[in-house]
Amino acid sequence: MNRATITYNDKCVRYFLWASIIWALVAMLAGVLAALQMNISMEVIRESTVLRPIVEFLSGGTLETEGIPYITFGRLRPVHTNAAIFAFVGNMMFAGIYYSTQRLCRCRVASDKLTWTHFWLWQLIIVAAAVTLPLGLTQGKEYAELIWPIDLLVAITWLIFGYNFFWTLIKRNEKSLYVSLWFYIATIITITMLYVVNNLQIPTSLTHSYPIFGGVQDALVQWWYGHNAVAFFLTTPILGIMYYFLPKAANRPVYSYRLSIIHFWALVFIYIWAGPHHLLNTALPEWLQILGMLFSVILWAPSWGGMLNGLLTLRGAWNKLQTDPVIKFFAAALTFYGMATFEGPLLSIKAVNALSHYTDWTVGHVHSATLGWNGFMAAGMFYWLAPRLWKTELYSKTLANAHFWIGFVGILLYISALWIAGIGQSLALNETANGYVVKQFVETLDNIQSMLFMRSIGGALYLVGFLLLAYNIFMTCRKGTAVDATVEVTVRERDEIDRVTLGTIVKQDPFAAVLGLLIALVFWVTNPSNIFSLAGIIFFSVLAFVRFKKNVKKWNDWHETITANYLPFTIVTFFAAAIGGAVQIIPNALTAKAEVIDDRLQVVYTPLELEGRDIYVAEGCHNCHSQMIRMLETDYVRYGDYSRLGESIYNYPFQWGSKRTGPDLAREGGDISQGSEVMRQGLRDNFWHFRHFMNPRDIDARSNMPSYSSLASSKTNFSGLPEKIRVQSLIGVPFPVMTPHEIEGHAQGQALEISKSIVAQNPFISWVTPDMSRQKIEAELAQKEIIALIAYMQKIGVYEVPVDEDGKPKAAAPAPWENPDQDKAKH
Amino acid sequence: MDKDSQQADADIRRADYATEKGEVILRKHEYDGIQEYDQKLPNWWLVALWASIAAFIIYYTVYYTFDLMPSFSDEMDAKVEAVQEMRKKALAETLPKLNDNSLVNVWSTDAEIVAAGHKTYTAMCAACHGADYKANGGTTGRALDDGIWEYGGKPMDVFNVINNGSPEGSKGLNGMKMVAWGETALTPKQVAEVTAFIISINPADFADLKN
Repeated sequence: MNRATITYNDKCVRYFLWASIIWALVAMLAGVLAALQMNISMEVIRESTVLRPIVEFLSGGTLETEGIPYITFGRLRPVHTNAAIFAFVGNMMFAGIYYSTQRLCRCRVASDKLTWTHFWLWQLIIVAAAVTLPLGLTQGKEYAELIWPIDLLVAITWLIFGYNFFWTLIKRNEKSLYVSLWFYIATIITITMLYVVNNLQIPTSLTHSYPIFGGVQDALVQWWYGHNAVAFFLTTPILGIMYYFLPKAANRPVYSYRLSIIHFWALVFIYIWAGPHHLLNTALPEWLQILGMLFSVILWAPSWGGMLNGLLTLRGAWNKLQTDPVIKFFAAALTFYGMATFEGPLLSIKAVNALSHYTDWTVGHVHSATLGWNGFMAAGMFYWLAPRLWKTELYSKTLANAHFWIGFVGILLYISALWIAGIGQSLALNETANGYVVKQFVETLDNIQSMLFMRSIGGALYLVGFLLLAYNIFMTCRKGTAVDATVEVTVRERDEIDRVTLGTIVKQDPFAAVLGLLIALVFWVTNPSNIFSLAGIIFFSVLAFVRFKKNVKKWNDWHETITANYLPFTIVTFFAAAIGGAVQIIPNALTAKAEVIDDRLQVVYTPLELEGRDIYVAEGCHNCHSQMIRMLETDYVRYGDYSRLGESIYNYPFQWGSKRTGPDLAREGGDISQGSEVMRQGLRDNFWHFRHFMNPRDIDARSNMPSYSSLASSKTNFSGLPEKIRVQSLIGVPFPVMTPHEIEGHAQGQALEISKSIVAQNPFISWVTPDMSRQKIEAELAQKEIIALIAYMQKIGVYEVPVDEDGKPKAAAPAPWENPDQDKAKH
Repeated sequence: MDKDSQQADADIRRADYATEKGEVILRKHEYDGIQEYDQKLPNWWLVALWASIAAFIIYYTVYYTFDLMPSFSDEMDAKVEAVQEMRKKALAETLPKLNDNSLVNVWSTDAEIVAAGHKTYTAMCAACHGADYKANGGTTGRALDDGIWEYGGKPMDVFNVINNGSPEGSKGLNGMKMVAWGETALTPKQVAEVTAFIISINPADFADLKN
């Protein structure tokens, strides 16, 4: 046996660590800013001569000022979420993965070149995101906002990372894979799948594209991605990190190997199915909603498996909780993980979701996970790593403890304030009497102002805690010297490693039982009235259980063989993770796009309305407004007829929204105005919208919406429309055939008509000078984005009921995702 | 048998031995110094896992395999019907009390009703018609203090305009039309209160109906 001395590449860990800390501060600062923007309508601040100018500036002029478009809430929130997820947690994850993988493989990372390419490209992506998002360049899909050139860069960088990681696995001097590595593998392959599918898009320009999925399909794909970005970017890699750093820090063996096995496979398999719980009570087909809900409930136990395995590993090391800040952070992080993964399934229950969805409760929920679980895991890991990476003691334990308590209080303030605000506002919104709402939307804002201010304080405290961390780590670096660890390892011959073949694994007994179970499950879920598949599930479950009981050792051996070779392990993991999405998405994706759904078919946008919609997307309006009236009495009473799938089938991307900081907009659109060919008036007239965009507080002094007065100065991009319409036609929207010239002419005509209707009311517009003729003002205003946006507002949710020759509503074509037998039973 | 597989065999024997004796198994293999126990899974945890799986099967079976529950849209349609009934009832309760005479002589003379109407006006109407009833010089809506009643000057005409919005077929003000408040936000009673309030600020226009 050859012994060799190797040096780990710890320099990259140091770089990733610092990148994570710096971006964490940026992300949290953006978060605090966004939170402050929510506070602007508070009486205390509005009346104060000191606070008001400060908040006014910070909040992007959401009071009666002109407004700074770059940091309006709709643009700032994606900056915050992307920075927190991909920059802060991303870099932290890479630091942890590079550090632990090298040690768990007992070899240096396969390629330093790839490692550094990975590092610098990732930072480039973040900078590109930080520049493009405030400019309003976005895809309009949550956590997938980045425009297509950056998406490509992300995909390339991720593949480099993955290649480097697997190459390191191949070169390893350790026979089998430790549980941390399982989680890293699941992360890398699943994120690749999610990111690629959700970002399938066709560019219309260098900075703009349309997703290839629209309406309900986009909704499904987006939340399959969105939910699992949480699962496989914020959860599994951090669990892997936990499995390495926690036993290291506690110096105790991991509590239970079999618990690791069960909760790993359960998480990988089940998480993927849970996406539709973001779309409960919407127009999404019932079976998908139920699947999303039920799989979310099943997720509870496997998630707690991770928490238990972590917390119980601390048995015998609890005394360190008093002295070691690292253990303090880890223990609290696991507890918050447990709390968040209990709250998650709870919020996924349809009835609870009816109360919680679209409210601040959800915001509180995700922050208990990101601040509590991700943030504290990061802090614990950094405090543990810094002394080792710089070969010295931590600069100050006292400061680290102070960080812990300040952060802890910050989180508790944050989440409890949003529990109260979310539930409180929801109850106020749900209050009805005699079939009418009791409170207008804006009236429910009064109740939550103090809680939202409390949230800002909680978030700011957390940021202060992290500043302490940055200082502490910085001083530790200054005190010590950067050292790459050197160890002596036994060099394994290549024929000792990864010898188990996929065939060996497949041929073994447990494989058949598990595979049979999965196939039966897929059949039953997609066709539940088929009793045979249910019988199959029961048969294979019993078979698996009996065989397991009969020969535990064989099952153990089987799992050992899987973890002995990285490739079959990766393949099996991929299939486990892919099944859920495939079952849920493929039937929908096969649907013809012009299908009449629920007897309704969306009316195709005019060119100007399409451009207006792109402005709506660019401004991030969906961050605060939904376009989905749920199948709930309260939604119906407040907003009108509940939304059907057919109404948004041509929306690329869908804009159902996930939070109602303002009211739903699904019924804003309306009929064509009298005497006009294209101009519409929905609930409100053009001039109302104009005034409202210029200054929402002009309409209602209590409004919390930012001013969009800048849209009255920014120019609409008419010339990009022909290409946009060409692409939309390509993906299936039945636009009438028009030449580029006709498209621009049509858009200009509609814009001028709307502009005239507004100028007729003598509005105040900043660029209008006394010598301008009325025609000139009309022509100038028609070129502005505000007009296109108004055109879109008047079109939202407009649909037709297609009729056959007898004038009866055309029967909806059977949607392929609905099982025909079941359809008969229901109707 | 190479050394490693002998070792692995010994480990399992050790594991079996430990299982028989009810001892905690500590797996032999170490990863960078990290060891693993192989503790049994907590029973309550197993119960939670199996119970949630059972719930899945029962729920899905009840909903789909045997179709024992109404579908979401059936449920929703029932709720919609109930809301419509309630609204009809509310309208039926208020409408008989309303006529040109009662609006002027009963509703608009009751200080409480007028105050309630004023409150609603400030919250919902003032944005366009102005806190001073002049509608920003007539640009954002019709002034309510100029004695001109575009859609009829009878109290019930005012009620109907608020309740149903600008009449169908009317051209509106430069094309701008008012929302049907009765369909979107206000109860019939609230609409009547606002009507009473508007009458109260225009006493001269409704003097002929005054008893």
